[in-house]
Amino acid sequence: MIVVEAVLNGFMVGGLYGLFGLGLAFAFGIMRVVNIAHGDFIVLAAYLGVSLLALTPLPLLVVVVCVALIAFALGWLLQATLLNRTLGPNPVPAMVTTMGLSIILRNAFVKIWGADIRSIDIGALQNKGLDFWGVSIGVLPLIIFAAAAGLFGAMHLLLTRTTIGRAFRAAADDFEILETLGFNRRRIYNAAMGLAITLSAVAGLLLAMRSSFSPYAGAERLLIAFEVVIIGGLGSLRGCFFGGLFLGVVQVVGLRLNPDSGPLFGHLAFFLVLLTRQWNISLPLAWRRS
Amino acid sequence: MTLLTLDDVDVFYGDLQATFGVSLRIEEGETVAVIGANGAGKSTLLRAIIGLTPPRRGEIRLAGNVITGLPCDVIARLGVALVPEGRRLFASLSVEENLLIGAARARPGPWSLEAVYRLFPAMREFRRQAAAEISGGQQQMVAIARALLTNPRLLLCDELSLGLAPKVIADIYACFVEILRSGVAIVLVEQDTVRARDSSNRLYCLLKGKVTLDKASRQASREEIRRAYFGDRAA
Repeated sequence: MIVVEAVLNGFMVGGLYGLFGLGLAFAFGIMRVVNIAHGDFIVLAAYLGVSLLALTPLPLLVVVVCVALIAFALGWLLQATLLNRTLGPNPVPAMVTTMGLSIILRNAFVKIWGADIRSIDIGALQNKGLDFWGVSIGVLPLIIFAAAAGLFGAMHLLLTRTTIGRAFRAAADDFEILETLGFNRRRIYNAAMGLAITLSAVAGLLLAMRSSFSPYAGAERLLIAFEVVIIGGLGSLRGCFFGGLFLGVVQVVGLRLNPDSGPLFGHLAFFLVLLTRQWNISLPLAWRRS
Repeated sequence: MTLLTLDDVDVFYGDLQATFGVSLRIEEGETVAVIGANGAGKSTLLRAIIGLTPPRRGEIRLAGNVITGLPCDVIARLGVALVPEGRRLFASLSVEENLLIGAARARPGPWSLEAVYRLFPAMREFRRQAAAEISGGQQQMVAIARALLTNPRLLLCDELSLGLAPKVIADIYACFVEILRSGVAIVLVEQDTVRARDSSNRLYCLLKGKVTLDKASRQASREEIRRAYFGDRAA
């Protein structure tokens, strides 16, 4: 029974990890931007959640929506003001830019929120559980997993059923031709980065309800995002989802076996995947249909 | 009425100059062929017109308005469409999704999804397939349909016949009668000079980035085209 519980908890964490990876892969697939500050935006969302809950009487759900909107605006601004100036065949300027941004963000977190380890307290919901045939499952993990799966589903619908979604995929394939059909490349990039940051930020906020974070947690989050993308395959929605679940389950089960292991087992599993699959890093870059 | 004029246009790729003082005009509803050898600057000219590679000198006017230096997407929405060399369909989208992208920012006009399926009835059969999976000839149909769906006033076609079987090429060219009937003007860039001459009203020949022939297609003799195509030294 303990194993079942651990696996289900792993799904919950894994759904969020999948969203970390999705945000990173989405930005890379469309703009070819490796966003080194990706993890720091995830942490920023958690801090925003902490502050909104502490300073305003807003209910939790509204706070989540607010953080999502702020994250979209930040992603949009990041692309419009900084990254659109680094477009071109060379990916290094965007990497250096976001690396600098990452350093700025981390230090800003320490300055504004202090260096303490934090988590989001959501009161009674935290410990509520349901009993299924002797297996107790937390209500919160269930809600979080449903939210993550729902976001993946919504992304799938967006990418396949809407004009902007098709334009995102087309931009990943051939942005020049997209321009000749009347689409403004920069505006599409702005929206894509907004969406990428939103997905991961919401996941970061939800994760902060289950585990703690510090101003420097961004590096760990970024590492997880990279691992998810590499396990799941670049440019695949489904790959990110299952890559995240895999990593989450391994990590949580590993923690049950050895409570001091931290993220060790997740990283080990990733290493094994690398060894066994002889991964070809120069994968097709396009954002494929999932 | 004149739809498009190029006046003394110089296009550069970095420090490399690709065209030298090219001037040409396209009247409303006519078909103009641009022929020339590999590297003569034909594709460059099309890229300059639609704004992908803006000219460094010279002026381009669309229906009297200067469009030099406008962003590509703006020029596209003013009524210029490109059927690019090598088709360049969005490979991870289905055929119909490619068409929907073409229609998404369209000007008002006669071309709808329904209309392009009527133009290429075969396209209906493979519309659910991934664009990367269909044959070259099928891809060419989709590329033409995608460009038409923007309801352009000017359709730029780059090397339609490249890599296709003669039968397929003939089929595709047969559809141009229908396309012209919708009132759109066409620029045909071709290496196949005979086909280009036979399916156009007027003819320009480029040689190393310069216009070497500018004539009504019917009056252009083979000898004249040969000399314009290869330069005088070959004569």
